[in-house]
Amino acid sequence: DRQTLVAVLQFLRRSNLRESEEILRREARLLGDDLGAAALSPASAGLLVGSGSDADSGEALLGRGTGAAAVTIGGSVATVATSSPGVAAVAAVPPGKGGACGYCGVGTPGRGGARVPGFPRGAGTRGSVSGAVVVEDQPDVSAVLSAYNQQGDPALYEEYYSGLKHFIECSLDCHRAELSQLFYPLFVHMYLELVYNQHESEAKSFFERFHGDQECYYQDDLRVLSSLTKKEHMKGNETMLDFRTSKFVLRISRDSYQLLKRHLQEKQNNQIWNIVQEHLYIDIFDGMPRSKQQIDAMVGSLAGEAKREANKAKVFFGLLKEPEFDVPLDDEDEEGENEEGKPKKKKPKKDNVGSKSKKQDPNAPPQNRIPLPELKDSDKLDKVMNMKEAARRVRLGPECLPSICFYTFLNAYQGLTAVDITDDSSMIVGGFADSTVRVWSVTPKKLRSVKTAADLSLIDKESDDVLERIMDEKTASELKILYGHSGPVYGTSFSPDRNYLLSCSEDGTVRLWSLQTFTCLVGYKGHNYPVWDTQFSPYGYYFVSGGHDRVARLWATDHYQPLRIFAGHLADVTCTRFHPNSNYIATGSADRTIRLWDVLNGNCVRIFTGHKGPIHSLAFSPNGRFLATGATDGRVLLWDIGHGLMVGELKGHTDTVYALRFSRDGEILASGSMDNTVRLWDAVKAFEDLETDDFTTATGHINLPENSQDLLLGTYMTKSTPVVHLHFTRRNLLLAAGAYSSQ
Amino acid sequence: MEAAKMASPKSAPKDAQVMAQILKDMGITEYEPRVINQMLEFAYRYVTTILEDAKIYSSHAKKSSVDADDVRLAIQCRTDQSFTSPPPRDFLLDIARQKNQTPLPLIKPYSGPRLPPDRYCLTAPNYRLKALQKKVSSTAGRITVPRLSVGAVSSRPSTPTLGTPSAQAVSVSAKVGAPVSLAGQRFTVQIPSSQPAGKSAAPTTPTVQNVLINPSLIGPKNILITTNMVSQGTASDPNPLKRKHEDEDDYDTL
Repeated sequence: DRQTLVAVLQFLRRSNLRESEEILRREARLLGDDLGAAALSPASAGLLVGSGSDADSGEALLGRGTGAAAVTIGGSVATVATSSPGVAAVAAVPPGKGGACGYCGVGTPGRGGARVPGFPRGAGTRGSVSGAVVVEDQPDVSAVLSAYNQQGDPALYEEYYSGLKHFIECSLDCHRAELSQLFYPLFVHMYLELVYNQHESEAKSFFERFHGDQECYYQDDLRVLSSLTKKEHMKGNETMLDFRTSKFVLRISRDSYQLLKRHLQEKQNNQIWNIVQEHLYIDIFDGMPRSKQQIDAMVGSLAGEAKREANKAKVFFGLLKEPEFDVPLDDEDEEGENEEGKPKKKKPKKDNVGSKSKKQDPNAPPQNRIPLPELKDSDKLDKVMNMKEAARRVRLGPECLPSICFYTFLNAYQGLTAVDITDDSSMIVGGFADSTVRVWSVTPKKLRSVKTAADLSLIDKESDDVLERIMDEKTASELKILYGHSGPVYGTSFSPDRNYLLSCSEDGTVRLWSLQTFTCLVGYKGHNYPVWDTQFSPYGYYFVSGGHDRVARLWATDHYQPLRIFAGHLADVTCTRFHPNSNYIATGSADRTIRLWDVLNGNCVRIFTGHKGPIHSLAFSPNGRFLATGATDGRVLLWDIGHGLMVGELKGHTDTVYALRFSRDGEILASGSMDNTVRLWDAVKAFEDLETDDFTTATGHINLPENSQDLLLGTYMTKSTPVVHLHFTRRNLLLAAGAYSSQ
Repeated sequence: MEAAKMASPKSAPKDAQVMAQILKDMGITEYEPRVINQMLEFAYRYVTTILEDAKIYSSHAKKSSVDADDVRLAIQCRTDQSFTSPPPRDFLLDIARQKNQTPLPLIKPYSGPRLPPDRYCLTAPNYRLKALQKKVSSTAGRITVPRLSVGAVSSRPSTPTLGTPSAQAVSVSAKVGAPVSLAGQRFTVQIPSSQPAGKSAAPTTPTVQNVLINPSLIGPKNILITTNMVSQGTASDPNPLKRKHEDEDDYDTL
């Protein structure tokens, strides 16, 4: 109480509002020492005025001991509010009788002595109050003292937190949602501070009291936090240490921020203000405060939201030009390719396949931005095949849904941990918990390995079918098992030219296997901890891996060390994907953010927050503009890469989404989940009519339409097989894979 | 271990009940019954190890009984050993910055399968063939194998010289087999221990084992040798186990 009173008087004096000061002092003497030890914040709650120097706002900051007084204060505030049109706050205060603000005898400015702000409230005597005089002459000293004192006064932490809680709860609706974002980071930081300073019992009671108030999506974090009770526990936990040292980003509108700042500074309990300044980064934007719904869509990550500057860099999301072919195509094929190759987007200039468009797509990276391997003859043949298949591709849409062919792995004993299918859908690989990698042939053509060197020297190298002759018929089989890892294999990836296979495992290595000899060629050691995912670049040669050490690495097959290290995530990197133009890498992490990295210089160009659980699947749309992500919270979020905004939310799955894939032309998004279903979503509709005007980009406000039901085109249930992988063939048949689990 | 039936909560031993409660507190609701047994075993083993270490530290400090400091020290030492955690973030950011400054290397066109230098690949054979003709050495029981030059660590595909059986100089690469000793491969290389002079008289037990041999003996692939072995020194050679430490400075396990 005293603190607030003092603060009020300070403020009034500062703003030279003698009259209000007089009133205040008069009222203060009226009530006598009616001090209780109750939290002063109920009354002070929300009574801050948004605009600056209103005299009456000083009166609004009345801390009172008793509840009745709170009403009167409320009353006074109400009058204040009505009388000053510039006041932007406090409709929540109940009206009451005006003018009577009760104080307990504080307050003639003349009383000497520096006030010790950390003074415990229990001692509510007038004498002590008199000691607690305006410190406006020595604000810095008090601030310093308060920091020092409150560092060592853990009993007050609960008071501060509940004080803030009251303030926020009594604030105006429009501000309350935004200010509620403060609860979680403040709670965690205060708790960690208590633990770090070894006040165990206070930490425990603090936790008990307030952990139920947090949002439901933070429950997992809170559970981990509850097991951290001693300082020693914190040392080994890298994620918590990172959380402590990194700034939690909050995006608050200017009005709400002013409200908060005024409250915290004037309340003289600088501890919260210290924490705010030290651990929180408040990204202020001008505009309307956000609603709870908007905020809920965007928060959830371990580091708050993303600063707007983080998403401002230019991203070249266009596709690279396909090379012109000397191979003659029939006219029919060429036309088909141009039509089919055109993305379904509204913007007509996005014609990025081949011959028709001569001008460079401004959003596409220059061809030689990053070095890419040259196109070999076999690659060219492959591309021709691709185009021919594309011509016969089924055009999908809401009326024409793809057929789904499901490959069920039987007798895997819950050991199937990774699946991949080649682009032409000829081979399927499974990584297993018993550290084997098994390759099957999907087509009737069996898998053969190359002959031994001795035999190879005998064949006729000039014959036309030399590629067949080098294969050893004796080794033909449907299944090949590759041994080599010493831990469960968590990620697999075929190379685009089907010569190589990558697998990454819990033993910390990424292995390159040859699919011609079915032997291991290289083991890339760099992560010393489990590697959770790996993927080849769409052009081959480069690959990316991400693991428990919180970084993703870019490798090239002919370098034994990584070329790029992408560090920045606060927790494990669980999913890594290349952009179709191979210039960017998206990584999803257990800290619930997705980051987009530039391959050229390793910078993080986008940070996407909004998921409430670790991310397990990422998919780029074929035209490169959009990214779909799935996490353990069962939601699929859609992001516009160019603007750096969330543009869609697909709700429907009830369990982790492990597989996401866009159809070949981007019309349908398929998602597969642990809840044993595959769902098809209308991607065309989800991406049309996007609100990407300047306001949205500037403020990051998003208005997501609740259209998940409209976008859902179909749900297909398996009996009891979680879907681990999805793949659209070149003709838009959907293949899915999973291991049958008997429970 | 007992059969994998979960004892009903009433009759489970106290330890198991505590462990079940811990699992529940950490939010794990679905687990096989044997998980509790495994966790209990781990807890027991861990505590035993710590206490044994603490006893050692305490006796080293000549204390009469084990106290909290000893236990704390034991925990600290074990943590650094077994429960390592990933590097801290500032360290990662630092090395990332260093690594990301170098431009991406240009790709040479038409260079066949793009693989790292052979010493970093797993393409070398991990067996050797015993030579057919018996070496007519005077001392029995010794396996003398042709000297194989290790040479530089570069990947020059030179055929190593097959020295005469009597050649004894041996070079053992310091980091023997490191590029190839990934978990999947199983070959044992015993680096001859440094027992220089004493061995000259002892003819027995060759300290030599499987090595990588130049495959020019075997097949068309020519891969460089990364290790070598030794034959027990003959009397003529005072230091049969001369080691040539290569400069292997381009190992980077990060």
